[in-house]
Amino acid sequence: MRLNHLARHAGLAVGGALALALVAAPAAVAQETATVYVVHGVPDTPVDVYVDGKRAIDDFEPGTSQGPVQLPAGPHKLALFAADAVDGSGSPLLSTDADLPAGGNVTVVAHLDEGGNPKITPFVNDVSSVPAGQARLVVRHTAAAPAVDVLAGGQPVIEGLSNGQEKALEVPAGSVSAAVAAAGTTDPVIGPADVDLKEGTATFVQAIGKLDGGKLSLVSFTVSDLHSSPSGVPSGAPSGAPADGGAPAWLLVTTLAGLSVVAVSAVRLRSAARR
Amino acid sequence: MHVTSAPGHRTRSGALVGLLAGLVLVLAPIGVWAATPAPVVAAAPPVAPALPAAPPVAAVLPEVGSTAPTAPEPPVRIRLPALGVDAPVAPVGIDDRGRMAVPLDVATVGWYRYGSGPGATAGSAVLSGHVDDREQGYGAFHKLGDLAPGDPVTVDLAGGGVVAYRVEAVSRFPKTDLPVGEVFARDGAPRLTLVTCGGQFDYREHGYTENVVVVARPDVS
Repeated sequence: MRLNHLARHAGLAVGGALALALVAAPAAVAQETATVYVVHGVPDTPVDVYVDGKRAIDDFEPGTSQGPVQLPAGPHKLALFAADAVDGSGSPLLSTDADLPAGGNVTVVAHLDEGGNPKITPFVNDVSSVPAGQARLVVRHTAAAPAVDVLAGGQPVIEGLSNGQEKALEVPAGSVSAAVAAAGTTDPVIGPADVDLKEGTATFVQAIGKLDGGKLSLVSFTVSDLHSSPSGVPSGAPSGAPADGGAPAWLLVTTLAGLSVVAVSAVRLRSAARR
Repeated sequence: MHVTSAPGHRTRSGALVGLLAGLVLVLAPIGVWAATPAPVVAAAPPVAPALPAAPPVAAVLPEVGSTAPTAPEPPVRIRLPALGVDAPVAPVGIDDRGRMAVPLDVATVGWYRYGSGPGATAGSAVLSGHVDDREQGYGAFHKLGDLAPGDPVTVDLAGGGVVAYRVEAVSRFPKTDLPVGEVFARDGAPRLTLVTCGGQFDYREHGYTENVVVVARPDVS
């Protein structure tokens, strides 16, 4: 068998102890299912994912994500086995219990903690609507690395994010040059790369892998159709006054100039007539 | 006598020329100003009577599976023959108050680039133009409220395509009651929504009190 992180920690399955404290994301209507994304962030270790004893994902490659899948709301058991395991029996590499709320939207990330030990961390996905013209960017630190800053266009936009934490931003839609650097620095350890943040979407970016050996990378997925409508259409008069409300300023100037020429000429005419 | 009167004549004719020049200076710009909006307003009659007011036809486009819409093709020009309007269209986004941005140039119409596009298989493509402006005169959509059901609307796309619509409904809403969810919906039957302002001008708010909304459906006749 491959020498890998999960195998080394096979005896340390996080099972049972880690009940996922998942808060229900605000859902428009009560639903009987929950939406689940899975991110595989443990390097070098393809796995099979079992949900309640049944294989749900076969040969899940590190550095990739799966989803969205709908699971019935309620308690579930998630277990990760080495991809070459015969079935879901025996002792998993990692496992956890998850109580999925109806209408919830979550990401389960298998990753390394700061010290390089594999673990599973659940995140609630903020899929609430995004203000018109904007996009949401959610960055999650799930890599064996110290705290990081996220840079956009070379400037830090998220600072001091450490393993297991996430931070969300709402930014004007468009392309940004994004990079990840050690906290307090601007020297990228990931990127920079152009990220196209489309209007009305939420992009969830997971930093995965480990700093040692330069095995850091990003796994991301995007949720669409979160747009809002503009609040109105101000199609009146851009200068703040309508055309029918008065003459434009330049007309006033020419009219005054013309009138003064007329006045001067009239005075000259009168004085000429007196002579 | 005769000799001294000559400068007097010169002074008088010079003053007369000045008087005329002054009058020209007063009247010509006023004439120019008054004539400026004429192309927008006056060119209406020739086209309108020739077009029969066909009842709008609901477009039936059985497009079910397209969940990931590709970026719409930007519109570049809109024609409203019934009003004599032929105006350029520019893509716009959001202003600093979360409203649809509208081009500062009143002769240019804005297309809400985050929404649906003309010719798309679903949703409302929104075009908005200013009514008028004190400094710029009448805008491209000055007479929008005069459109009537059945009037044709055509939109030129950046790639050379032309999308034809017919007006289905003309409505007015107080600005605070504009049904933005409906106007900017990115789903539902394909349609073109033209928006401008109307009602009274509120000098304290620096804007009109109403929105004029024209909904047009694809012309499949």
